[in-house]
Amino acid sequence: MSNSDPGIRERNALNRVDQGTRERGVPTSVDPTRLGLPDLGVGVGLRIQHYPHIFEAHPTVDWFEIISENFMSPGGRPLANLDRILDRYRVVQHGVSLSIGSTDPLDFEYLRRLKELVRKAGSPWVSDHLCWTGARGVNLHDLLPLPYTEEAVRHVATRARIAQDFLEVRLVLENVSSYLTYTTSEMTEWAFLSAVVEEADCGVLLDLNNIYVSSFNHGFDPEAYVDFVPASRIVQYHLAGHTHHGDYIIDTHSDHVIDPVWALYRRACERTGPVSTLVEWDADIPPFETLLAEAEKARAIRDEVARARAA
Amino acid sequence: MPAPLDAVMDLLSGALRGGSPVAEDAALASRCAELVAGNDRLSPADQVDLYRQQFWSRHLEALTDDFPGLAFVLGEGAFEAFCRAYLEAHPPASFTLRDLGLDAVRFAEGYSGFPEGREGLARDMVRYEIALVEAFDGAEPPPLDPEKVQAMPEEGWSTARIVLHPLLLRLRLGYPVHEIRSGLKHGRLGSPDADRDPAPAGPSMPAPRPVHLAVFRKDLVVRYEELAPVADALLEALGRGVPLVPACEAVAAGLEEAAAASLTGRIRVWFAQWTSWGLIIDIER
Repeated sequence: MSNSDPGIRERNALNRVDQGTRERGVPTSVDPTRLGLPDLGVGVGLRIQHYPHIFEAHPTVDWFEIISENFMSPGGRPLANLDRILDRYRVVQHGVSLSIGSTDPLDFEYLRRLKELVRKAGSPWVSDHLCWTGARGVNLHDLLPLPYTEEAVRHVATRARIAQDFLEVRLVLENVSSYLTYTTSEMTEWAFLSAVVEEADCGVLLDLNNIYVSSFNHGFDPEAYVDFVPASRIVQYHLAGHTHHGDYIIDTHSDHVIDPVWALYRRACERTGPVSTLVEWDADIPPFETLLAEAEKARAIRDEVARARAA
Repeated sequence: MPAPLDAVMDLLSGALRGGSPVAEDAALASRCAELVAGNDRLSPADQVDLYRQQFWSRHLEALTDDFPGLAFVLGEGAFEAFCRAYLEAHPPASFTLRDLGLDAVRFAEGYSGFPEGREGLARDMVRYEIALVEAFDGAEPPPLDPEKVQAMPEEGWSTARIVLHPLLLRLRLGYPVHEIRSGLKHGRLGSPDADRDPAPAGPSMPAPRPVHLAVFRKDLVVRYEELAPVADALLEALGRGVPLVPACEAVAAGLEEAAAASLTGRIRVWFAQWTSWGLIIDIER
């Protein structure tokens, strides 16, 4: 008799790749675009619900983004599944628990395990969020915004440099969706993000949906945000859907990318040229084909902008 | 350490874990208004409360994922009450939600809010469901080298130590909670999220009986096997590092004559099973 309980949760998320092109470490000579990091094309977030299709049909995908924390375990099915993905696809790590803005000490055990995964996955960079996720030893498992102050810039940049040096791979910070702002903020969110990545010498993962969500929640001009962030540091884009509640928008990753976000993506591509782009879908997850269709929309915009820039 | 950042993190770390809307606590709402800007649609307290609601929904969902059997046993209301009490006593500390329930066994031992008559069943279910979580993604040691068994001289077995799989968890329970989980998995018991409080007594809730359970992982799948009490005792002794022959002798000493006489044959069967399940990973001479 076989008594099994495979229903245990594995929380949570690659075009065939030339393994020889995988890059490791922070380059000493920096290409003026994307900090010298490769344009991987258009990828999608790797989610458990799509494993059966991916393992059986081997769909053509430029790359997959994985949630780092879902694979920072010593063994078992998560790592076995990752091995199967790595056999065919390129993977980039995206984390949710670095808590780069926290005033708690950096968690070097977390960083050690993250680095171990970088070595396994060959991720060309590691991204996480410009936020804090916990303090005083409590992990709130949320992406909480920081006050946009000079003090916070110095605090976060110092920690980001340490983390990046430790990981020996480029750290890329993502703007978060936020539902509150602070009375103590001294600058715009886009000025804060730009100052942190310049001072820390990090990359930017620009999430166009997050810009849209926060622009509605806080009443700023999303185009001003896109136009301000240093183009040469943008290493990756994120695209996703959200949920509109009337008075506010929550970043749920539960729907299609809306037209105003596609417009922001086009505007960003016009500034940067082709940059690795990733479509996220984390709730009410549709069939893989739907996700791929969304990725193809991104590719069409990217390609159109590239042709216009070349003309 | 930056003081204004500390102030923000002190405020929100507490406010987000609150059990009721921020606006209902005038003092807290006032502190929020000092640090959080608000806008023309949402007050500072309302904005903080969006994050508070997400804190609870995210962590309750994670615990529901880990404890579907407990949710079934307790019913929706009592399960949520247990989870809320647990999260207040053991705020999430790990970077991964995988670890969220790891203190639940200890917490459940002292929890007084279980529905009357369900206390033992609930505590056993927590122990079983945490064992499933722990077996899921632990490190896999190399399998037993068959040559080690073949190369063992006959006299070597008297002092040989059997090394068991580090992910093997033995549970001694008062209820067959694994049957409930299995029933849920195969849809025999209805949804654990069914709107009922507490779960109905009757055929869905098994009668108490002593259960000796082995939870382990084989070929990436978490499995359970019910053990004979003597087999469990032998595994327990081997797990403590007692060499094979003394362990068998100790187990046999507690048996009646007829049972002791048949023990050798049973041990052979058990070892064949344990080997096929991957529970024995090494033999140290």
